[in-house]
This record gives sequence, C-alpha cells and structure tokens, in this order.
Amino acid sequence: MGADDASYCKTNEDTAMQDGRTKTHANLWHITRGQRMRYLSATAATGVSSGFMLLAPLVGMYAIDVIVERDFDKGSPWLVSIARLFDQGDAFLVYLAVSALAGLLLASLSALFMYFRGRWSAIATEAIARRLRDALFHRLHHLPAKFFDEADTGDLVQRCSSDVETVRVFLATNVVEIGRSILLIAAMAPILFWRDARLAALSLCLMPFITVGAYLFFSLVKRQFKVADEAEGKLTAVLQENLTGIRVVRAFARDEHEIARFATCNHAFRDHLYRLNKLEALYWGISDFVSLGQISVVVIAAGIFLAQGTISVGELFAFLTLVSMAIWPVRRLGHVLADSGKAVISLKRINHILEAEVEPASRSPTPFHPGERADGDIVFDHVSADYQPGQPVVVDFSVHIPAGQTVGIVGAPGSGKSTLIRLLMRLYPVSEGRILIDGTDVRDVDGQWLRHQIGVVMQDPFLYSRSIAENLRVARPDADKAHLVEVAQEAAIHDAIADFPAGYEAPVGERGITLSGGQRQRLALARALLKDPPVLVLDDSLSAVDTNTERRILNALAQRRGRHTTVVIAHRLSSVKDADRILVLADGRLVQDGSHAALAATPGPYQRLCEIQGALDQSIRADLGDATAPPSQLTVGR
Amino acid sequence: MQDHDQADGFDEHAAADGIQLELWKRLLRYALPYKKELVLLGAGGALTALMEIALPLIAKGVVDDVEQNGIDASFGLWAAAYAGANLLLALGGAIFIWMAGKIDAFASHDIRRDAFANLQRLSFSYFDHRPVGWLMARLTADCRKLTDILAWAFLDLVWGTTMMVGIAAAMLVMHWQLALVAMAVMPAVGWLSAKFRKRILTTARLVRSTNSRITGSYNESIMGMTTSKAFVREDANASDFAGLTRTMYRASVRNLVLAAVFLPLVLTLSAIAVNLTLGVGGALLYIGAISAGTLIAFFTLTRTFFEPVHVMGHWFAEMQMAQASAERVLSLIEAEPEIQDSPSVKRALAVQRDAPPRSDIAPDGGAVRITEIELVNVSFAYDPDKPVLREVNLKVGMDETIAIVGPTGGGKSTLVNVICRFYEPTSGQVLIDGIDYRGRSLHWLQSSLGMVLQNAHVFSGTIMDNIRYGRLTASDQEVEWCARLAGAHEFITKMEDGYATEVGENGNRLSAGQKQLVSFARAILAEPQILVMDEATSSVDTETELKIQQGMKHVFQGRISFVIAHRLSTIRNATRIVVVEDGRITETGSHVELMGADGHYASLYRQQGLDETTMRQWDAVGT
Repeated sequence: MGADDASYCKTNEDTAMQDGRTKTHANLWHITRGQRMRYLSATAATGVSSGFMLLAPLVGMYAIDVIVERDFDKGSPWLVSIARLFDQGDAFLVYLAVSALAGLLLASLSALFMYFRGRWSAIATEAIARRLRDALFHRLHHLPAKFFDEADTGDLVQRCSSDVETVRVFLATNVVEIGRSILLIAAMAPILFWRDARLAALSLCLMPFITVGAYLFFSLVKRQFKVADEAEGKLTAVLQENLTGIRVVRAFARDEHEIARFATCNHAFRDHLYRLNKLEALYWGISDFVSLGQISVVVIAAGIFLAQGTISVGELFAFLTLVSMAIWPVRRLGHVLADSGKAVISLKRINHILEAEVEPASRSPTPFHPGERADGDIVFDHVSADYQPGQPVVVDFSVHIPAGQTVGIVGAPGSGKSTLIRLLMRLYPVSEGRILIDGTDVRDVDGQWLRHQIGVVMQDPFLYSRSIAENLRVARPDADKAHLVEVAQEAAIHDAIADFPAGYEAPVGERGITLSGGQRQRLALARALLKDPPVLVLDDSLSAVDTNTERRILNALAQRRGRHTTVVIAHRLSSVKDADRILVLADGRLVQDGSHAALAATPGPYQRLCEIQGALDQSIRADLGDATAPPSQLTVGR
Repeated sequence: MQDHDQADGFDEHAAADGIQLELWKRLLRYALPYKKELVLLGAGGALTALMEIALPLIAKGVVDDVEQNGIDASFGLWAAAYAGANLLLALGGAIFIWMAGKIDAFASHDIRRDAFANLQRLSFSYFDHRPVGWLMARLTADCRKLTDILAWAFLDLVWGTTMMVGIAAAMLVMHWQLALVAMAVMPAVGWLSAKFRKRILTTARLVRSTNSRITGSYNESIMGMTTSKAFVREDANASDFAGLTRTMYRASVRNLVLAAVFLPLVLTLSAIAVNLTLGVGGALLYIGAISAGTLIAFFTLTRTFFEPVHVMGHWFAEMQMAQASAERVLSLIEAEPEIQDSPSVKRALAVQRDAPPRSDIAPDGGAVRITEIELVNVSFAYDPDKPVLREVNLKVGMDETIAIVGPTGGGKSTLVNVICRFYEPTSGQVLIDGIDYRGRSLHWLQSSLGMVLQNAHVFSGTIMDNIRYGRLTASDQEVEWCARLAGAHEFITKMEDGYATEVGENGNRLSAGQKQLVSFARAILAEPQILVMDEATSSVDTETELKIQQGMKHVFQGRISFVIAHRLSTIRNATRIVVVEDGRITETGSHVELMGADGHYASLYRQQGLDETTMRQWDAVGT
C-alpha cells in the first residue's frame, strides 16, 4: 500500500503542469491505470470463489444420491475413496460426514477468495478515487480565472464530489458485479450440461430474457431518472436561494409566497419520484415472476425427468440450488449494465474539468525569472482586454507607474478599474498591448513569482475557514505572533481580534466567528501587509470600514509610503486624494491622470466630482463655524 | 480545519449506541398519515415472505410425490401451485415496492414541507449560527435518508420477521430435531453481525465525515480561487488536500475490507448450518426418518434463513447511523421561533379573520398606520454577559429620518433589528403608537417594513422579479418608477434584456453596488411604513449616490426611516442623528445641534474636517 500512497500523484501532476491539454483521464479504461493488475486479481478471485461456491451443491447432490440409492457408485469417486479411509462403522454415515466437511471446506474456500476479491477491489477502487480527487483539486488550482467566471460553484463541487462518487461506486460495485455474474453463468452452464443437457437448456432458457429485460427497462427509465434528478436540483436551488436570502424574506414578510414557491418544487419532485418508484414496482413484479418462473420450470421439468428415471433426486437438488444461486446476479446484471451509463456520464463531467485548459504558465519556454523581489515598476502599454469578444472592458490603456509611487484609481462601476488589477496579476489575458513589471512583459515571467510580488485586498475578501492567525499566515507562513499583531494594528483590526475569546486562534467562517464586512476587509488588509509585497493593491477594500477607522488605516499606510508601489481603487475620494497621482477611468479608457490638486483644477470628470460636492463643502464650513458659536443660536439652526 | 472536526465530533455523539425508540416514534408520525399504504406495505411484505417459504415446500411436495407415485405424480397440480405461489410472490413484491416508494416520496415531501415552513417563521437568531449549507443538508440528504429508513426498514422488519418465524415454523413442523440443528449457528450469526456492524459503522462515519470535509475543501478552494492564486497558495492547498484524500483512502479501504471480512464470515457460518443439515439430515434420510424432498426443502430453507438476519442487521446499523440526522431534522421542524405572536395576539388574529376587512384595521385588530415608535429603556444581549444595547431610549415620529452613526460594533445594526422585531429586547419595551409591539402581530409589523441591507441579497430570476418582490401585485410601471427613484433604472436599461435580464445565481451578474440599488428599489416598492437602510449604499459610486439623494428625500416622506450610514450626504439628509457607542445612545440631535454639543459626532467630524484639504476629502467621502 505504501507504494500506492506516493507513486500515483507525481506523474499526474507533472504532466498536468507541463501541458494543459494533456488528457490525463480520457475514459474508464485510462483511469484504472496502475490498478489493473489488482482488478484482474480481484476478478480472478471472484471466478475462483464462484467456482467453489458452485461445487458445494454438487457435494450435496452426490450425498443425496448415495443415501437414496444406497450405492457408492452414485457418489463422488474422490469423496468415496476418502470415506473408505475411515472404514469404521456404517460406511454411508462416514460418507455423509466426509461430504458435510467437504461442503464446508468448499464454502470456506469460496469465502476466502471472496475476501480477497473484496480487499483487492477496495484498494484498487479507492486508489483510483483518490487519484481522481487529487487530480481534480490540482487541476482546479491551475485553471484560468475565466473558467470560474463561466462555471457555477455548486456544479463544479458536484462534479468533484457526486460524480467522483458515481465513478467510485461503479468501479467498486458494478465492475465486480458484472464480472461475477458473467463468471457465475460461465462456470455454471458446463456443470448443468454435464449432468443433463435437456434440463440444463430448460434451466437457462429464461435467463437471457431476464438480463435483456432488465437492461431495456433501466435504459428506458433513464429519462424518468433524469427528470426526477432535475426536479430535485430545482428543489435544492429554490431552497438554497430561500435560505441565503432568508433575511430578505423575513424583512418583507414573504413567508407565504416562499412557502408556495417551495411547495411547487416539492410537489413536482415528490410526484416524479413516486412515478419512478411505481415503474420500479412494476418492473420488479414482472422480473420476480419471470425469475421464479425459471425456477418453477426447473422444479417441474426435473420432477418429470425424475419420475422418468432420467435424473436422480440429487441432480434435481443440484439444478434447483444452482439455478436459484444464479438467478439473483443475473437479474442484477441488466440493472448494473444499464447503470454503467451513469458512470460514463459522470466521467465526462469530470473530464470537463480535467481537460480544461490550464493557465498558460509562461509564454516563453524558459520563463524569465527576475531577482527575488521586484522593484514594482509597472507599465501598461496600450492595453486592451475583454471578457467576451466584442465587449471591451479596457481600451488602449497606457500608464507608467514608477516603483514606490502611490496611485489612486477612480471611476464609475464597470469602468474597468478592477480589471486592470486582474490583468496585472495575469488572472486574465490582455487582448492587445502588454503589461510590464520591472521592464519585463508579465507573460514572460513565472506566474507564481508575479503573484508573489503583488498583494491585493479585495472589496469582498475571501477568508479561509481556519483561525485568524492561519488566515494571516497565508501570506507568510513563518510569521511570528508579534509580526501578526503588528500588521493587525496597522490595519486597525487588532483590537477587534483581541476581543474574541480565542483571540488570534478564533476560527473564521461558517462554523466559526462571524466577521462584519469591515472586519473582513481589515483582516484581508493585514494579510496583504504581512506579505509586504513590492506592489500593494487596495481594490475598493475599505468600503465597509467607517470613516474614522479608514483615516487610521490611511495614516498607517502613509507611514509605509515608498515601500510599495501602491494602487488604491476607491469610490471614496478620501482614500485616493493623498495619492501621488489619480487616474480617472471611464468606459475602460483613461480619461484623466494627475495629482488631486491638478485634477481638481482642470475641467473634467474629476473636477465635476468635486464641484458636485461644492455645496456640501460650504455647509460643512458653515457648520464648523457654528460649532464654535454659543449653543443657544444652534437650536434654531436647522 | 478544526471547526469541521468539532462539528463531526458532534455527529459522533448524537449517534449513540442502540436505537432511540422515542426519536423514531416522533419521526413515525410522518408515515402514519399513509395508513392504507402502510397496511398494504406490511401485507405485501408478509405475503412475499410466506410465498418464499411456500416455494421450497412445493418443491418438496414434487419430490415426495414422485418418490411415491413415480410418473403418475400430479405434475399439473404442482405446476399450478407453483404458478399460483409465483404470482402471489410477484404481486406481493410489486405491491410493497410500490407502497414503500409512495411512502418514501410522500413522507419526505411532508417533512420538507414542514421544515421549510418552520424555517420561514424562525427568528433571525436561529440563522445566526446555522450556515446555509448545514440547513440545506438537513432538508435534502438527511430527509431522504430518514424516509428511506421509514419506508424500507418497516418493510424489511415485516418481511424479515415473517420470513424467520415462517421458516422456523416450517422446519420445526417437518422435523423439529433437524430444525434445531439447522438453526444452531443462529446466535453466532447474530453476535458476529452485531460486532461487525458496529466496527463497520465506526469506519463508515469516518468515511462520511472525511467526505464532507473533502467537499467543503473543494467548495472553499473554488470560492477562494483568486485569493489562493494571489497568495500563491496552490501547492500549500494541494498538500493540505492530499492529507484529506489520504485519510479518505485509508478510512474507505478499512471500511470496505471490514465488509469484505464480514460477508464471507457470515457465508461460512451459514455453510456450517447447511452442511450440518447435510450430515444430520442425510443420516435421517438414511434411516428413513425423513424423505429426500424434506432434506432438499431443509437445504433451501436453511440457506434463506440467514438472509433476514443480514437485512435486519443492515437496517439496525442504518438506523443507528441515521439517528443524528433524525435528531437534526426533527429539531429543525420542532424549533419554536424565539419571537412569535403571543396567545392574545393569536386570538385577536382569529377574531379579525372572520370580521369584514377594513382598511384602517390591521389583521390583529390594531391600527394599520404607524405614526410613532418609542424605545423605552431597551436593552439587548445575544449573550447575557455581553450586552449589545443598554437602556436605549428613543422616540421617533412620522416623517422622521433617523441617521444612526457610531463606531463599528457599537450596536447600530442590532438597534434596527430590535426596532423591526427581528430580535426582541431582553429588557425594556418598544412601543408602536403607545402599544408594546409584543402585543401586535409580528407578521403585520414585518409586512410594514422595507429593508435594504449592506449585503443586498438578490434572488435568481429577472431584475423585474427581484424588485417586484417588494410588492408582488405591483405593475411594470410601478416597478420602473421605483427603480428610477432608487437610481437603478439607468444601469438596468443598459443591460441586454433591460428589466427582463436574468441576474444569475445569487445575483452574480450584478455588482455589489447594483445589487444594493435593486434592493433599494425593492424596498421602495414595498411602500413600507418603516424604512430601514443598513449601509445600504456603501458600494454605490459617488455619482450614482448623489442621484439617489433626490429620490431618497421623496422616499423618506410619509414614513419613519432609520438609516445607518457612513456617508455624510446620507446622514445630512436625516432629520435627526443618533450616535450609538458601546450599546448606548450617547448623542442625539440634528447635525448642527450635535456639532454644537461637541461630542463624539463633532470629533468624528472635526477629525476629518479641520484642515482644509482633508475636509475637502472627507466631503468627497460623504458624497
């Protein structure tokens, strides 16, 4: 087992790293790679086990015949000779004892090989499932951001969980089941024909119908299955929406509306499920009847042959037992075969992820790898970009940000502010132009190195469901506590953290403490500061922080001035006005570039922003003047 | 990762050993409405079992008849008996699958219906500590699992009991000594079954909990993909994940290998029984005590005798495992909302339901119009040791707009939630026109609300649907009018399908600011008597925010409004400003008054206002 533990991951990851288009798991056959010998052994064990199992009724058959006919010639020559070794007392009773022991031995051997089959197929299946899970996780981390924009999280998670489970069940149960059924019939038929060809033919006559019937039925109801699945999906979706929006539901007292909406889906799912169950009931009823019909045929025909003297009582027993043993696996076979289609569909869904193109690692075969730490000199050179062809988000954008400069970016939502950062981080490709960091095209440097140089704080930052300390250490795994406290203080979040009973060890997320939007933003800021990157980007990341706290943070950041190239994207002008430069964006274009003072003095969008506030300015000034006046005058004020 | 362990540890506890009958009895009430189906299910199961016993006995009859009468045996009669038993068995099977399928589908529908309805009336505090995913799992997977057990375990109980009693009886009647020999290993099978089931159960639990952690890990890694990339966490995440899949691999293999040991052991035990029957039965046949037919019947019956033990052992294990689910689902259905109408309000509602509707009378018999809200010594605490609101007093009248300002965590949102009765005061009173709101209908009060939250939630569906959520009967024109007031009309008309644009799962296609605007429009459309805006425009850009200001003035007329905001422009629109610090109202008054009072508000203001440049800046913030 030790070897499995380590060996399989490697090759997989390596190929995935080298070439995004490598098809690592094309079909059912490919995913069994490395485990095929084990599967083969498991199948062989199944065969051996079935063989022993089929021999046991023959022992019974001989024993019955020997006793009924009182004739050792009717017995198994082997068992007879063994029985003769203990020739004491009544030979027939000795023969019986030997037979019973032989039957037990056969059953035990059958059980032993059944154990081997179970063990080997378990190891093989679980190793494959583990490989699939690791490969999926690995691949997800190397897919471009665009892939996630187009995909739905729930659906992706389902591909990684339920679909892997479907494949796993197929490998664990179905493969072995199919092997067992086929081997069982293959081993049984010769035995039956050896004893009596006519009865054998009668014993097997209905079996093909049972299998084919099951296959046809389950193939036909597939559509009904799908309808039921979809109804369940709909129900889950409605449920999820309701629960995530429960506060809105309550705030508008829309409970009855929601209950009615849910009832529709709930009804639909119930009825589809019921219809499916009814179909199954019909199927199993018919299938039972035919299967038992097969056994009746054996009993009645064997009875007639017995009466005619063409078969013995023992043979009747053997036929009856063998056919009963085989009928269940045969019934399952059709079902399993029809079910196998599901595994193929699941595998296709898994392959959708495994075969998706990974992010280009670097344009050049030997990615340019500058020194440890970048200076942070950034150039956008006639950059255009779009998420969807024909809908440009950034158009011919050019700017040079020297290392250490602080730049503010303002603009209406959708004007392309955040996109610039995604382009810089190479999360999305530029469609035209180029972006340079320290003079090198970002497409020519190592992607991971590039992202090491940039610390981003997003408006709605993502925190891992781990402790606060672990969330911070994401940026710098070896940071000590003092360091964590230092950055937390700079981000004005230390006091809040210290207030939690568990302090920095308090878990964050669904099952942990709930942080407010502002707290999340400040924690994310602390995380970025801990990273201490050459380029620091605040993407509207103080929007949920109150103005007082924002001021503290901006002051702390001012202390760091020159240490990072800093890009501040904001709606609030207070966040950007201290910047060395302010860039104003409109519809993906750079429309203004200059200091606050310069822009405020130049006709244009920025000035308009300031003018809009002119009236407000006046009143503030007035209020401040009033504040120093005696209170008696104030009460009349407004 | 610790958090997951803890939660799963909880599961481990809840699924204590043994079957908690009380729990299943409570759950059984979901099967009881289907009495007819239950009876048919039981009958079908019993019929099937009886016929399964009858078939080997018919075979015995054939053999014995042939032994005695040779070719003159009545084959036609036997064939008819066989066909009859056959038909009955198939019929019984079809009936029980049909009925179990019906009970399964219908009972799970009923459980979901009740659970969902209850969720709609539970208080906010219930949702504070229960993640959506957790609730979802209760209503989907848990629910299916339970009704599965309810229907099929019941069936197998009837079938298995009939089968075992029937076989035992048949064998005892045929030859009681041989019957005892055949059943001798029964205790061993039971013991082995119990022992293994328990161990398999333990590993199965580990597999399940690891599996849910793996799913959680996928979920987290997809949601946080950008962050992981930004911090170059790909390899660290992968190695964490590899640890999980290693655990999963080991636990699953252990689980399956245990099963692989268990089944052959049981088969070996039943082989002992069969071969004991062969030895002893053969001897009996030899001395002529039994017929060959009887011996053959014994073989078949002995083999089938252990099947029910198996099946029932399986259900026993399943029930043990599902007990945690049962407890969680039932707790969800039976959870009483912390906040609900008092008995007297319920009576009033009942009285009013029969009375002719009047436009000035609310469903609870009180006045429809709200003209004044007063908080008298209101205190509130989620946790008794940590009061969030302390002795708050506030009186607000019609047409007033109260801006609530203060530091983060000071209790601003809690204050509005208490006013809206999403939480009730732990002490003190909230009076609506002089009447404690606990004496009024909760539903009526909350239908009079309009709320816009910072994390604006938008449902999937069109923008039109989303705004109309505020008032379901509103016309398209009304929706558009409110969108204009909210400043949302412009961006909506720019979208490809305008108001008919699908916003995607959780409104993914809209930006945070756009969601806030849609949610604002929705609140306006609701024509609420009380409007609450909690950081409602924090993600809206400056220009749009300014445009909204005009609309807001209009919107604030004719109602009581509470606005939590950082933006000065919004605050300045208020008729009164309330400063909430550390759970207390420390200052209240107009902007000018508060500046004069020279307290927190003034210092907050001055801090950013004193020097000319910063003041300009802060002004921009305000806009």
